[in-house]
Amino acid sequence: MISPVKIWRRQKEIRKFLGKTGTIVSWTKIFIAGKGFKKYAPYPVVMVKIDNNQKIYGQLVDYENNDLKIGSKVIAVLRKVREASADGIIAYGIKFKPAYENN
Amino acid sequence: MISLLDYYTTKFGELWEKSLSDLIQEAVNGVLKSNKLNKKQIDAIFFANMLAGVLENNLHISAKLAELIGLNIPIYRVEAACASGGAAFSLANNYLNANSNKTVIVIGAEKMTDYSPEETTQALAGAASGEEQEAGLTFSGLYGMMANFYFEKYGCSEENLAYVSVKNHFHGSLNEKAQFRNKITIDDVLQSPYVAHPLKVMDSAPISDGASAVILSNNQSIIKKSKCSIKVLSSQMINDTISLKSRKRPDEILATKIAADKAFQESKLERIDINVAEVHDCFSIAEILALEDLGFWEKGQGGKKITENSTRWGSNSRLIINTSGGLKAAGHPVGATGIKQIGEIFLQLTGHATNRQVKKVRYGLAHNVGGSGGTAVVTILAS
Repeated sequence: MISPVKIWRRQKEIRKFLGKTGTIVSWTKIFIAGKGFKKYAPYPVVMVKIDNNQKIYGQLVDYENNDLKIGSKVIAVLRKVREASADGIIAYGIKFKPAYENN
Repeated sequence: MISLLDYYTTKFGELWEKSLSDLIQEAVNGVLKSNKLNKKQIDAIFFANMLAGVLENNLHISAKLAELIGLNIPIYRVEAACASGGAAFSLANNYLNANSNKTVIVIGAEKMTDYSPEETTQALAGAASGEEQEAGLTFSGLYGMMANFYFEKYGCSEENLAYVSVKNHFHGSLNEKAQFRNKITIDDVLQSPYVAHPLKVMDSAPISDGASAVILSNNQSIIKKSKCSIKVLSSQMINDTISLKSRKRPDEILATKIAADKAFQESKLERIDINVAEVHDCFSIAEILALEDLGFWEKGQGGKKITENSTRWGSNSRLIINTSGGLKAAGHPVGATGIKQIGEIFLQLTGHATNRQVKKVRYGLAHNVGGSGGTAVVTILAS
């Protein structure tokens, strides 16, 4: 389960990915979500190969339906990632949005 | 030589009147009674269960089993997500390879329907990596990613996948222990709501309760007294990375390939020798990947091959898949599934598969996967 100390440990890693661009390797759209994510459903999740060839996952936000395809360019942004825990800590993490060329 | 002497399974389904303990007791009593064995002849038990610790705060189940059954013997609990059953079987097989004149029970059990879909989905997601969980991925989401990647690369669609569920529901209609006994159509699958795009409710194994047990022995006097038995030629378990993204290819389960190669090598058999197989169809795409990764079909051909219905009971082909109904129609109480698969092969190889009996079967294979492919177990059995 999520706890303040877990969030703190994880958030140290997040800054490495902010602003990184990459391409969608594969995607899905979750309709039946687990606890902590139910209020966001349906939401798309993408597997992204970022420019140093590392792969990471994140939800896709601020998108149009035709952005949701393999090969689309995306950029990593900071977003709230799940419903707040009972401790009231808001968990931030990586999500992606489409990286349009003139953006 | 290690022999499999008997099999018993509870019905799979929403068994509200039965607790986890009730299910375990029914399976153990059932398999002992069927073989006329006294429980005192059992030297060890291997127990597969995934979720009791998370869902019902139920741990140290080995001791609970000892109390339930009334035995002072070693009871090993095994957890490998949806491959818990296969992993327990593989471990039991290794135990017998290391110890002569022993007889063991391998039992898998799971109680899942007391909880809301979010609670169960969340508990199951515990078998994914931390990063996958934090991105809001579920297992249907991970297999959805594999399916979309497969579609893009090999040019097939949701309709191809639907053939898996239609076949497995037909098989389920022949199995009185199956959760779903209704036949369905391609349209029924295509019109069902999405769980994780492109996978729909009718592409997905259900949430189920159930328990299954087998008896394994290398004690010749017990084997001789048994009214029927089959041989375990090989049971191989392989692990891989927990994360789908860390693997080289999202369109294959490498652990399945390695486990299958090792199992065929140890059995000294070829793919063509296998007549019946139970493969891990937690989602429709998983059966297609399984048939390719086990080496029965060429990579990328599965989407097209499944529409030929060659693996359906009653076809003339030499390989029939998931006569139990698979996870899709027989149900998927995760700890029990791997044992039920091996049990189904036992029924087929001993001629006890009643109205779904495949003719002239000599060798069978069971394939059990944990998570998105972090564990795979391949077991080959001979009549």
